[in-house]
Amino acid sequence: MHKPYIQRQRADWWLRNPAYRRYMLREATALPLFLYTLLLMSGLFQFTRGEAAFLQWLEMLRSPWLLALHGLALAAALFHAVTWIALVPKILVIDTDRLRVSPAAVKLAHQVGAVVCNAGLLLLAVLLLRAAAGN
Amino acid sequence: MTETVTVRVQRYRPEEDTAPWEQSFEVPYSEDLSILDALNQIKDQQDPTLSHRWSCRMAICGSCGVMVNNEPKLSCKTFLRDYREQAAVTVRALDNFPIERDLVSDISGFIDHLETVQPWLIRSEEQPVSAGAYPQTPEQMQRYAAFSQCINCGLCYAACPQFGRDPAFLGPGALALAQRYNLDSRDEGAAQRMQWLNAGEGVWSCTFVGYCSEVCPKDVDPAAAINRGKVASDINYAVNLLNILRGKDDA
Repeated sequence: MHKPYIQRQRADWWLRNPAYRRYMLREATALPLFLYTLLLMSGLFQFTRGEAAFLQWLEMLRSPWLLALHGLALAAALFHAVTWIALVPKILVIDTDRLRVSPAAVKLAHQVGAVVCNAGLLLLAVLLLRAAAGN
Repeated sequence: MTETVTVRVQRYRPEEDTAPWEQSFEVPYSEDLSILDALNQIKDQQDPTLSHRWSCRMAICGSCGVMVNNEPKLSCKTFLRDYREQAAVTVRALDNFPIERDLVSDISGFIDHLETVQPWLIRSEEQPVSAGAYPQTPEQMQRYAAFSQCINCGLCYAACPQFGRDPAFLGPGALALAQRYNLDSRDEGAAQRMQWLNAGEGVWSCTFVGYCSEVCPKDVDPAAAINRGKVASDINYAVNLLNILRGKDDA
């Protein structure tokens, strides 16, 4: 008699194993970043409505809830970046007859790149602020 | 009196049952007792109707994959002593596969996926046997060696939620095998296999959960293989796009 039992994936499959929970935590880092993007876009919208509206939006940013969202979004972005870069050497394997780069070097290059890009952005922001203050 | 351990075993008898259920057995404990030994003890001494698969007892044949306390494991390579802290050990058939009977899964879907990716050396021109073997340096072999260690046990498929959601997904084992041949210096079939990597059921159905690599008993690292396949698929896409823009055939 052939009557196989078909196992259906349960809706809570991702709660049932620590490996799946870690995966979902990593996927969930998109949520605070999504909210942060909405916040930035609302700022842009207020900017188009004139100075008073934009200043009011800036004032709103001082709310503890929005400060917490900024902290959460930063933590989520850092967690995502660190775990992502840790996986890069497994995927970006440079090993041919002509060129070979060690996994450690690939990882280091990505870490240095991330630090340089972020420091560059910060520097640009500071320079723009100074120029604005100078006017 | 001999110390015993409670082993809860999933039963499914297609003649009588509509769904799997759990049966408890007391198994005499010893330090070197594997889950497979425990299952054999149950079948030989307690209930001869229990069905489970096994053969080599040394993690080579890949037949004895089961879920042990919800983790995909080879029962021959998993020992009761590692579960001493827990009240009982639960043994189920592998997740994501149809259950044929008790602990026996139907893994034919996975075997079909293995065949799909053409896992053999493809040459544009076969040389005659008299010409001898295709030579390869140890460095060239090292590039795919880890991916060639697969024993087709199916643990990675039981670990993969994407395969659980959609059994059409070629899955970790088959895509790692495709990568094993694509990285082989003697092989010239990467272009033929690209259609399977690029397909909806190919590498892009993987969301890099990574649990397949954690459970692999032979350290094949299928998650790395699949995601290297994504890099190859990306390059293939870019080259095709460039060719189309230059008015050439994309193939």
